[in-house]
Amino acid sequence: MSEAGEALSLGERISESIAIKTVFRIEALGLSIPISDTVITTWALMALLILGSWLLVRRLRMAPRRPQLLAEAFVGFVNKITEEKLGRHGRSYAAFLGTLFLFLIAANLAPMLSPVGGFGFEPPFFIRPLTRDINVTAALAAAVIATVVGSTFRHKGLRGWAKGLVSPMPFMLPFNLMEYAIKPLSLALRLFGNILGAYIIMLLVEAVMPLGLPPIAGLYFDLFDGLVQAVVFSFLSTIYIAEAIE
Amino acid sequence: MEASSAAFIGAGIAVLTGLGAGIGIGLATGKTSEAIARQPEASGKITGSFLLGIALAEATAIYGLVVALMLLFK
Repeated sequence: MSEAGEALSLGERISESIAIKTVFRIEALGLSIPISDTVITTWALMALLILGSWLLVRRLRMAPRRPQLLAEAFVGFVNKITEEKLGRHGRSYAAFLGTLFLFLIAANLAPMLSPVGGFGFEPPFFIRPLTRDINVTAALAAAVIATVVGSTFRHKGLRGWAKGLVSPMPFMLPFNLMEYAIKPLSLALRLFGNILGAYIIMLLVEAVMPLGLPPIAGLYFDLFDGLVQAVVFSFLSTIYIAEAIE
Repeated sequence: MEASSAAFIGAGIAVLTGLGAGIGIGLATGKTSEAIARQPEASGKITGSFLLGIALAEATAIYGLVVALMLLFK
């Protein structure tokens, strides 16, 4: 009987942890806009990334010091990958793809910095993974597919886009149109499912064995999985754009 | 049968998608070790595409997991 009660409370705790809470509402223009905790985490990450990139390149010099080297290494890496995949158009998409990559890394690794409770100490806030909210991943995927459609128009024009829709044969039209829905859907669901799944598994691990095991399991589920998903999301976006402009 | 118990059974069936992902990742891993054994100098490139491949193969299992989680904690 007590076991059933514990199982219920564990399930309730998981449901409570993965739920997206509305922290406050903005009343403007007759609308009431809910601001959830993921939006606040997004703002914090945005501020951190903007401040960080400003600090790293504040004093540019020809013989770079360590902070500038860090920024140059990242930008050089993004430029190299995009030019490898997109050819001579690489530079114009490097900023978008690099920002996407940086934001996803920050979003997936931020929960590792969350304060931990215990011994009667209740931290004032937790950093829960941002991408457990499907709205975040869906927005990112929508940005990617908008870039894909926009780049098709930019490099091929309206006629080239229409020609691409009926290639290689006219009866492929519905399938080619369906790609515009399936690509963002699979991008969004892959990121959301991986992060939410890893988060729930970590909650279960913490409930089963609070000492010793969580840091080791966290290396795989938080660090490795988060990094791999950030790489996969930005790499697939690069490939979709490369397909659209080739 | 109650709706909640049916949801539990459905969640169990949904995570059976892990079967396909397991087979796929197993095949990919086997071929990767074969490729690295043949050409150890290309192991960096092989590992890169292997990681991307398993991330794609894993997606089906993740979809099953998402469906199961939706059934369990909606």
